[in-house]
Amino acid sequence: MSEAEAPKSQPRPQLAHGVRDYLERERQRILATCTSCGKCSEVCPMTPYNENKGSADAKALAGGVLALLRTGKTDEASLGWVKACIRSGCCVPACPEDVNPKLMLRIGKMIATGGLGGEKLLPVKEDREYYARIRAFARLQLSDQEYKEWME
Amino acid sequence: MSERITFWYGCNVLRHGDIIHACMDVLRELGYEASAAGGPDFCCGSTKDSNGVAADGMAQRTVDRLNKRGASRVVAWCPSCHLQSAEFHEKAYEPKYDMQYFMELLYQRRAQLKPLLKHPVPMRVFIHRHIGFNDMVPVNDMAPEILSLIPGIEVVEDNYRGPGYMCAHLATVPAAMTRLIRETEARMRRGRADALVTLYHQCQRELVDLEAQGVTQVFNYMQLVARSMGLAYEDEYKAWKKSPEAAAASIDEPRMRKVGIQFFDKAIVPELLKKTPR
Repeated sequence: MSEAEAPKSQPRPQLAHGVRDYLERERQRILATCTSCGKCSEVCPMTPYNENKGSADAKALAGGVLALLRTGKTDEASLGWVKACIRSGCCVPACPEDVNPKLMLRIGKMIATGGLGGEKLLPVKEDREYYARIRAFARLQLSDQEYKEWME
Repeated sequence: MSERITFWYGCNVLRHGDIIHACMDVLRELGYEASAAGGPDFCCGSTKDSNGVAADGMAQRTVDRLNKRGASRVVAWCPSCHLQSAEFHEKAYEPKYDMQYFMELLYQRRAQLKPLLKHPVPMRVFIHRHIGFNDMVPVNDMAPEILSLIPGIEVVEDNYRGPGYMCAHLATVPAAMTRLIRETEARMRRGRADALVTLYHQCQRELVDLEAQGVTQVFNYMQLVARSMGLAYEDEYKAWKKSPEAAAASIDEPRMRKVGIQFFDKAIVPELLKKTPR
């Protein structure tokens, strides 16, 4: 293959000390950058599926997600938006402040499900057989040699 | 000399062994020395957002294991793994490889792919596309070009894009999933499509039941590429979805022994029985 077709290496910025450290840095950056203008919520295709939206407008929803990032708590409408987010990413180019609202909502969901410590605000569906099921499908569909060489 | 690459297929695509095998065959035919890696021990951690410690540990472990494979390029099948790598792994750890998405590689090598697609697949297809992920890899434009290389394939032109980036997430919001299915069915009728074609295994898993329900044929694009190459891999997951009650009986005893009939009945049959909402 030609060199032009190969993926290019980009210079990497200074690494965080693990994913959780990266998330903490991003949480602080977002809190310092976001103005709660609500553009992210306005373009989100999932807001119609926010069961708790009520009369909350786009600015209120964005502000509520910021509150979640700041304090670990928020209102039901904002929590409903966090729950409905499935990472369409329409919010990213809509943001005038380069916040990366997709990441903002994902961090919000991590907080709301207890993933970063703190109180769980959203239920987490436990599937204790998730990985066992994947291994079972692999046992059924890969040869023993493939299983050993590809999975271990 | 052929380039060594690691084909990082992911976790849940293991339901569709035919897709993994087809990808490996295509990579070999394109001249790569491909080594496959995937499953829970190579999990990207994207499913562990509710457990940050576990997600971080999985990210570190997987970057380390992919580094140890030694290839300077990792080709990812799964969009979630690809995103997780770009959005988290690379921010916190030191991959010694460049990451590329599988469809992007196929697209770049389409001139070499075309002569491999010898067998006609006469079919008018509707491509199932989402909004998300396309900003990272323009799959919504690449997929029709790749499919159009297959003799006999006609792609329905349509601008519908479902929310999210894959159906596995969308299925957690049933009203949105139902709306997507209804919209897709209506557009397929208007476009006189013979089949629905998915780009990701996560969508294939959620939508293949539409074939079981008699709504439409459902294929992943790689299954059509494989068919055109003359690869005879069977889509067992689809067969099981069509006849959940008969699935266990269709699996020979030595294979079933590896899983255990009790586990199959308890953990796999309920998934096979699950219906796609319409």
